[in-house]
Amino acid sequence: MPTLMDRILGLDRRWIFLLVLIAVVLPTLFPIGLPTTTTDSTRRAFDYIESLKPGDVVWLSFDYGPSSAPENDPMAEGLMRQCFVKHVRVIVSALYPLGGLALANNSLARVVAEFPNLKYGEDYVNLGYKDGAAAVMRQLGESIGGAFPTDVNGKPIAEIPMMQGVHDLHQVKLVFTAATGIIGEWWITQVHAQIGTPVIIGPTAVSAPKYFAYLNAGQLVGMLGGMKGAAEYEKLLQVSHPELATLYRSTPHFTGAKGMDAQAVAHALIILFIVVGNFAYIQHRAAARRRS
Amino acid sequence: MHPPAIGVWVAAFLTIFALSFLYKDNPLFRFTESLFAGVSLGYYVGIVLNQTLMPNLIEPMQQDFGKNWDLVVPGVLGLVLYARYLPRAAWIFRYAITIYVGYYIGLDFTRRIHGEVLPQIARAIVPLNHFDAHTIFYSLLFALGVFSVLIYFFFSKEQDAVTRRIARLGIWFLMVSFGAAFGFTVMGRVALLIGRLNFLIHDWIYPTIGIR
Repeated sequence: MPTLMDRILGLDRRWIFLLVLIAVVLPTLFPIGLPTTTTDSTRRAFDYIESLKPGDVVWLSFDYGPSSAPENDPMAEGLMRQCFVKHVRVIVSALYPLGGLALANNSLARVVAEFPNLKYGEDYVNLGYKDGAAAVMRQLGESIGGAFPTDVNGKPIAEIPMMQGVHDLHQVKLVFTAATGIIGEWWITQVHAQIGTPVIIGPTAVSAPKYFAYLNAGQLVGMLGGMKGAAEYEKLLQVSHPELATLYRSTPHFTGAKGMDAQAVAHALIILFIVVGNFAYIQHRAAARRRS
Repeated sequence: MHPPAIGVWVAAFLTIFALSFLYKDNPLFRFTESLFAGVSLGYYVGIVLNQTLMPNLIEPMQQDFGKNWDLVVPGVLGLVLYARYLPRAAWIFRYAITIYVGYYIGLDFTRRIHGEVLPQIARAIVPLNHFDAHTIFYSLLFALGVFSVLIYFFFSKEQDAVTRRIARLGIWFLMVSFGAAFGFTVMGRVALLIGRLNFLIHDWIYPTIGIR
């Protein structure tokens, strides 16, 4: 006769999948509004962008694909909102091949629609996608036009007003990379280390742990780690810019904060699984020892 | 309120097909998997052609060949890569691969040394000129972690009683870092599920039944 612990250890994993699904669906249907605390790495990123002056240029690179959009989209869109509120100009690019450009176009369209006074080519520009990310970054240190001779629509960048005086990354005050995989690492080791341009990274949560080494070594200005980092950043934006607080409260689009209720419930459930699973395993092992 | 567009319906069904693998493998999942791989490849070819090859290679040569004639070299090297599909000329593609690998080794070598190894070593050498308890504690903990993990990965000499204990401590430091990485991984994977379910609920189900 199998004991309760044996049954737990032999539980069909599909029951766990079902419970996780329920744990995510319920807070999505009925938001709880759990509070979000901010971390030092996010505050450092926010404060640095806040210190930029009107007219400064920020480079925003969409280095992720649709699979991590729920984590990275809110970061990139939050950055654009902060820049546009502060009249900081934004250069958008995409170095991730599978969907980076489509996501850049979508996010840019969403955020630009919230700021009707923005002018393409003066307040922001979309340079599109370029293959060979590491080589592109190398080229950007010498000439932006060498890597991106035209914008996403094929217009020569020499004819774009905001690119006058922005010859290479030395004239860019900050690189923000919303990244999955290794491309974010290249911005640090290729651009920051060799050109000196400050870098903030918004990695997926899976990649976040490795970036703490760069953060602690002073190679990153700040970091938004996964969906939690995005939610923290949105909170800081809303506290400092009331107009953005109104916007975030009313937007129908997905934001980092909207996902955090489900994150918290799912995490609590997974912690419960780990505790119960380990308890059952220890009990099972003790029983086996007693029998032998 | 407008009903969801046909693209939303397609995306919703493909999402459900992909998630159906969690119950068990089935033809709908395999169809979605194959479709995704095919569409991804097609998208990649299209985007590289339109966003890289056209503006960086083809158009500059069309507009002013005299000024951009040097682009012929990378263009030919790129084409030569396909020589591997011609049995009698397959050897030619090695020249392109050699240049490609050589370029990236050179690029990566400086990147690794200058951007990774030296700054991380510099960070590991902690100055002890701030003698407050917090700094001393964390600096010592940091140094102990680096040292013990390095000992664990030192395979050139057989471990004795002392180094075995230090390596054991290194394993504990590694376990803590793996635990942190696991926590972040869970957050990342749950975030993907949240994204998909938000799409299904807010972009597909709600508009279909007329909510919001």
